Amino acid sequence: MAEETKDKIKYKLLKFIDLSGFKVFDPPVRLAFGEDPKKQTSEIGKFIILPILFVSLCLLSWHLIAPTHKTKSGAVPTPGKILNAYGNNIRLSEREEEKEDDFLATGQERRDRLTLVEKAIPELEAEAARLQKLSVEAQKQGGKSINDKIAPLKAKLDPLKAKHKAAKAARKAAVANMAATVAAKKATPEDSIKLAIAHAEQAEAESEAEKILNDKVNAIRNNPPESMNDAKIAANSAADEVQHFKKRFDVLTKENKEIKRTALLAKIAEDEAVLASSSDPVVIASKTKSISTNRKKLEKEDQKFAKNKTLGFQTIRSLATVFVGFLIAAAVAIPVGIMCGLNKIVMACLTPIISIFRPVSPVVWLLIFQIVVGAFFLPDPASHPLFTTLNQNEFFASSWLEFGNPLAYLQTDAAMIFSACTVAMCALWPALVNTALGVSAIDRDHLNVARVLKLGFWARLFKIIIPSSLPLVFAGLRISLGVGWMVLIAAEALSSSDGLGKYVWDEYQNGSSQSFANIILACFIVGIIGFFLDRIMIVLQRLVSFDDGSSTA
Amino acid sequence: MSYLEIENASVSFGPVSNRTHVLSDINLSVNKNEFIAVIGFSGAGKSTLISLMAGLQTPTTGEIRMDGKPIREPGPNLGMMFQNYSLLPWLTVSENIHIAVKTVFPTLSKTEIKEKIAHYVDMVKLSHASDKLPHELSGGMRQRASLARTLSLDPKVLLLDEPLSALDALTRSELQDQILNIWEKEKRTVVMITNDVDEALLMTDRIVPLTMGPEATLAEPYLVEIERPRDRQTLNDHPEFKRLKVEITNYMMAINKGSKVNQHEITSMPDVRPRDFSLPSARIRLKNKTRQPASTA
Repeated sequence: MAEETKDKIKYKLLKFIDLSGFKVFDPPVRLAFGEDPKKQTSEIGKFIILPILFVSLCLLSWHLIAPTHKTKSGAVPTPGKILNAYGNNIRLSEREEEKEDDFLATGQERRDRLTLVEKAIPELEAEAARLQKLSVEAQKQGGKSINDKIAPLKAKLDPLKAKHKAAKAARKAAVANMAATVAAKKATPEDSIKLAIAHAEQAEAESEAEKILNDKVNAIRNNPPESMNDAKIAANSAADEVQHFKKRFDVLTKENKEIKRTALLAKIAEDEAVLASSSDPVVIASKTKSISTNRKKLEKEDQKFAKNKTLGFQTIRSLATVFVGFLIAAAVAIPVGIMCGLNKIVMACLTPIISIFRPVSPVVWLLIFQIVVGAFFLPDPASHPLFTTLNQNEFFASSWLEFGNPLAYLQTDAAMIFSACTVAMCALWPALVNTALGVSAIDRDHLNVARVLKLGFWARLFKIIIPSSLPLVFAGLRISLGVGWMVLIAAEALSSSDGLGKYVWDEYQNGSSQSFANIILACFIVGIIGFFLDRIMIVLQRLVSFDDGSSTA
Repeated sequence: MSYLEIENASVSFGPVSNRTHVLSDINLSVNKNEFIAVIGFSGAGKSTLISLMAGLQTPTTGEIRMDGKPIREPGPNLGMMFQNYSLLPWLTVSENIHIAVKTVFPTLSKTEIKEKIAHYVDMVKLSHASDKLPHELSGGMRQRASLARTLSLDPKVLLLDEPLSALDALTRSELQDQILNIWEKEKRTVVMITNDVDEALLMTDRIVPLTMGPEATLAEPYLVEIERPRDRQTLNDHPEFKRLKVEITNYMMAINKGSKVNQHEITSMPDVRPRDFSLPSARIRLKNKTRQPASTA
């Protein structure tokens, strides 16, 4: 009996693995249930251990090769640095959480937090000072080693510069001389031009020679010793932590929601007292005004703490944007695709449009949407009623959503709409073409069944045509989502719509010591999310497939 | 008396200059509750013929009538059972029947529909598999499900397009018995397409051979006057069975041979013999090729 339930669990697990497409985990499950251990171990070795080893090998070679390649923004970060960057990003979002909690804390809790912060600040400051000192030391050392490296180059460069300067002066004199000769008709103007050309060539050669040396010097300067960088990063992060705690102190003492509220209430009460006892019309007027504005403030008092945009937020926003774009694409592509598949005339009409617009680059679409759709949000997209309504706290907020209005959280804006439209435009085609194919490739026999049953148009559509084309429709949607996710990152970078694309772009523009690592981190996040989106679509596709689903890997 | 009639029907495809005549001059009349078989070689146009009767195709000339009224379009009265099951693969067996019952009898209540589905599923002995999807079933079970769906339409004429030809011999005989049983219980007009003489002799009242295409037409029918119920075991020794089997088989072989002779006359194969094209020079010879005898040069 126990054996039987065990088998049941096993086959349920295996079925789930098969459905989700992670066939790799099949052997470990079988092994765990003691099925043919020899075969399973060999499978695990071949399809799990070896791939892991290969990936490790890749990581190792990355670790070894990356530091040797010097770029404008320093050496290429190693996997360890990326992991570090990930940690830093996590810490950044934690800080935002802490500040928000500080903002919302009341009464005893606030005082407790304050004591903690007050206690922590001196410790952190000491630590930061220590690291700063170390960093200065390292800078000195590093600067010295850089100077040592540069010195021989400088030794060459400086005389070269002096020599070129002298040569330049000599040429200038020669030109003046020549001008005089020409003026005295002892030489033709042609000679003068020849001289000028010769001089220009000479000057070019000289500057070329200087540039080569200069580039070498700069390369050394831009790639300071690792220790120097590390010390600087450590000192900076300690300083950041101190900054953060100071900010927390401010938030806890001044910006806290409760404190502000009490202050406002106190002010109103005071004004009311004055108002009650005063008989001076000027005072009454001013106090009434003050009370009314303060009461309004009290009502409108922002319930939210304005958080900085973290990597997590950008990821969620990207996902929301791609989802909106994908929904638009599906909502257009599926009905149009069905029409194309059903009617050859519609197909013929749409074929030129599909063929011409499908290969157009997402960047072009983005610019077109910015102009065309942007026209709806003029003159000021930021304060357009659509977005102010969508981002209102009360709007869409419901009791089951703990964080209130999701749209306010995402901060919908015009740029988000442009990005979503671009995603939709590029993701449209695979879904459309596949739907049309699925509908037109429907089995003749199934249509004959519909004819024998005398199904009406709608019944035929919903009971025969759509179910039979669903697997291909979902295959198309899967490609669409993949395309959309890829397009989105580029669109966000270009339209500076908040999201991973903007994050990457900002980091690129920012150019701090961490930027390069952050960009590669974002690259991995994009990849991993793309992978999971694809998996989700595969599972959906398998769920609607009526055959055994082996055709979708 | 005749219930289903085909009068001078012909089917042709293609442009006028290059027309292919699949069927020509088809005349057939089937009596009410008669079970007939149309027997012919593959490619003769059997499936086209039954599509005509089902109204899925319209004849180029001539007319098909049921109960005196011409057939112009398919409908549930003409219950067609397709050669390759054509069950909707995303629906279970009972859902496949449900969609048929619900469309043809829209006035039935939910419980009545349920009863009807159960009745037909039970009739083809598929109760244990009624919640399975078609791809989880064997070929025989699929064909039984398809039969149940066709019967659930309560058709006046049952058109079976090679219902058993895709099945193995054992499943085949089992299904033959089932179809016969059902027919004997609820008599109705049946036209079955087949390529198996034994099957036709076992099941039907009349066998109509279809000659080889193109321009296939129906030959003289053979009446099968063997008393029912027919027993598979003893039938082989029945003198009438033996006589008809020999006669029909000989006839079919003859028309097949005739068409082959015809073909032979038309296409004469060119007189081609293999020749050695390899170069005599050893320099150009491929590395791994064995040395050619010197005499070829």
